[in-house]
Amino acid sequence: MTPEETTVLAEAAVEAVREASRQGRLVTSQDVLAALEADGTFLAPVGLESKEQPPLAEDLCALLAGILAESQEIASFESLSGGRTLYHAPALLSRTYARILDRKGFPLQLMVEEIRSNSRDYPRPVPVELFEAPPFDLTPEEIEHALKALAASPDHQDITFTTAPTGALYLFSTLHLERGYATFLAQRAESLVMNP
Amino acid sequence: MTTTDGGFAGKVLRVDLSTGKISTQDTREKYGAVLGGTGLGYQVLWEEVPAGTNAFDPGNKIVFATGVLAGTGVPCNGRTAVTCLFPTCWPKHLVGSGHMGGNFAAKLKYAGYDALIVEGKADRPVWIFIRDNRVELRDASRLWGSGIRRANLEISQEMGADCSVAAIGQAGEKLAPMAIVSNSLSHSAGGVGGVMGSKNLKAIGVQGSGAVRIAGDKGQWEQLIKFHLSILGGNNQHVVPSFPTPQSEYYNPGSRWVGEPGKRWGAADPPVEITGNIFDLNRIAYRTNTAAFFLGDGAWKHTVRGNGCTACPIRCHTVLSVPAVEAKYGIKKSAQNTCAGLFFGRTFFKSMPGGFKGPESLEACMVGMHLADDLGVWCNYGQLQRDFLKLQREGLLKAKLGAKEYNSIAWDKFEAADPAFLFDILPRIGERRGELGHVLSQGTAGLFSQWGISEEYWSRDHNAVYWKMGHPKHHANEDDGQCGVIINTQYNRDSQCHSHSNFVRNGLPLAVQKKLAAETWGSPDAVDAVGDYTPMNVHKARRARWSLVRKELHDCLGLCNWMGPWVASPLKERGYRGDDSLESRFYSLATGQKVDREGLDLMGERIFTLHRALTMRDMGEPDMRARHDTVPPWVFEDLSGAAPFTKGTIRMDRADIALAMDLFYEVMGWDKATGAPTKEAYARLGLSDVGKTLAESNLVPGSKA
Repeated sequence: MTPEETTVLAEAAVEAVREASRQGRLVTSQDVLAALEADGTFLAPVGLESKEQPPLAEDLCALLAGILAESQEIASFESLSGGRTLYHAPALLSRTYARILDRKGFPLQLMVEEIRSNSRDYPRPVPVELFEAPPFDLTPEEIEHALKALAASPDHQDITFTTAPTGALYLFSTLHLERGYATFLAQRAESLVMNP
Repeated sequence: MTTTDGGFAGKVLRVDLSTGKISTQDTREKYGAVLGGTGLGYQVLWEEVPAGTNAFDPGNKIVFATGVLAGTGVPCNGRTAVTCLFPTCWPKHLVGSGHMGGNFAAKLKYAGYDALIVEGKADRPVWIFIRDNRVELRDASRLWGSGIRRANLEISQEMGADCSVAAIGQAGEKLAPMAIVSNSLSHSAGGVGGVMGSKNLKAIGVQGSGAVRIAGDKGQWEQLIKFHLSILGGNNQHVVPSFPTPQSEYYNPGSRWVGEPGKRWGAADPPVEITGNIFDLNRIAYRTNTAAFFLGDGAWKHTVRGNGCTACPIRCHTVLSVPAVEAKYGIKKSAQNTCAGLFFGRTFFKSMPGGFKGPESLEACMVGMHLADDLGVWCNYGQLQRDFLKLQREGLLKAKLGAKEYNSIAWDKFEAADPAFLFDILPRIGERRGELGHVLSQGTAGLFSQWGISEEYWSRDHNAVYWKMGHPKHHANEDDGQCGVIINTQYNRDSQCHSHSNFVRNGLPLAVQKKLAAETWGSPDAVDAVGDYTPMNVHKARRARWSLVRKELHDCLGLCNWMGPWVASPLKERGYRGDDSLESRFYSLATGQKVDREGLDLMGERIFTLHRALTMRDMGEPDMRARHDTVPPWVFEDLSGAAPFTKGTIRMDRADIALAMDLFYEVMGWDKATGAPTKEAYARLGLSDVGKTLAESNLVPGSKA
């Protein structure tokens, strides 16, 4: 490919990721390849129409992965389900939201990641109702099942809960929040509706 | 006619109710140095209301003052400061201000006035008619005894639909210190209604056909407004939504930004579903639903729309429609308000059957708004209800009231958390009926002066959160450690300052808050994680100073300190920065008088210091540190015994708070021993004459002969 062709291809690949992010989707390099093939923009810049032996899809994906890795606009991470690199444009689809999307089929991991990151970064415990609302959209049964599994899992013994005087259940990670402080923060969170 | 470069309407209207004289003054010439709003009110009181005046004396003056940015296109500009000697202040009435939003400020500016000064006392009930240059005192006899809604309706019918009416209810007429004046049905200023009542002033109706001139370049003005809109979050400038979004790295379940695609204003006809990108500027008004935040998700289906002030896209007064209350209580199905006014009703109860976000709570809130917003009863930021509950819990009501009166109260309804109880208790207070109504309508001061309860006893209670001088805490150590404590020591009513709390509650992670704090106040140590407080440092003192100065600036410019300042934003691409120079940039463009951030802050400091001087003069007190800037005992206790500076306590340390006051006085240029502004401080702020007057009374450090 000429440098000009590379530039055109890179822009098209980044735009394919951007478009997916606008739509709230994460994409793999295969998805990007499919998008570029679908609108013909992939083949044109690299002159593939004239070649007798079309390149393997894996090679094309590797090429796209290299291009996307160079882009300042695009972020990537390994999918929770393994073996896939997922791409998104953080300006359009935040890193936080991207990870929630990736974990949507895995209630336990979805909850663990959110609980730990909230305890670490803000810091705060999170109300259990959070996971029933979008974008988590877990059912009460899924939440209950996940909480039971967490309690039995040696890898997740840091995930625990505190109950506010209102009866609201708040979840937190002892890796990042002491119990007493988490209890204080849960009480405070519940008190905000009386402290305008 | 007075000309002005811009921003100012140009004239201050003065109405003497005793003589009927109506006159005007040039705003810039007379009050330009104090901008408007509270500054203008403080100056009037300083110059014209002598020490020793009682709030209900005809000699007290009540100043309705807007600011340079009121009535323009600047977002969040609808504020009117109502300043007078404040009747809930105990044991002596001192300067204070109520603050109302709505449309009154803009209408007053369009009529040509930056402020209205009301003095004297009418010999019969009157209301003030203002239509541009035509200003009249009109008879209010037929309105006397009626609620705020009827007064508003009748005056609106007389003036025309485009007027704004600020009226008092029965509470104000009966000189209750706990009375409001309210415009646009729900936009109230607390504590000042009784002062209007003492002057036989039922209402002010205002209508204006003019406009506010902008002196600067129109393109720059429009651009700055668009920029301002871009850095707005939700109510209280919570800059992250309560739910994760693709557009933001952060969210906060405690955020007042609760509106998201899929939510519906279910009682709108037809219902409105929120769609599109909630970060779009055209979607700002969908972000806030105060009712859903305070009353729970169930409020969405009762939401008609958001209401609010002139030019404010936040719309924090949620209009609710709850048909059930029509049938159950015989009241209108719709009501609107925000924050403490919204949940006025439910807080009279120990608990509600479905919790404070359940359907019973919603009904109590509807009944509360129906009664309080019409009678014109003020809650003093919830202190009325906290006092009532404490009195009842501790058997003090039974002890203080005669058996006949006590037994006449519908305690069965109170115990059952039946909203119908409010039909008993609120008219007693609003109409000052019986011993109970007479005392509670005075605010906490009534408990001290009428029933001999000691202030020291009251100020120990962790639930009552009483602070001092008749007022409660307002975003103190529970939100912002030492910074909150300092701010709560400074006023003669609850501080009404949100500069600090809007920042600590903005929803950003601590690391981002600290980064912004370092840029704005010089160190990441200017802010702590809530309940994980570190020892005092000078950066916190600087932030307290900044918070107070910006609060006064907003109150003088007509801006909303419930939304500003705007040092944080929802914008990821700006690193969640807002813009700390926004107010000065707007001021410069509006007036044509170029002032930078520091210059405008200096004006704010002048105004804040004038409040201090006025308080000292009227108290006759040189030692403000010991006699005014006090902190209640509950701040220094933790019921579980936790020590200060341990995680999970809001308990403060006495020595550390003493240091906090030292550092605060130091950054203000005040005397550390007494907390009194020095001669040099007055001179630096252009208040040498004020300092000289106080020095003659030995109220300036070192002035004693």
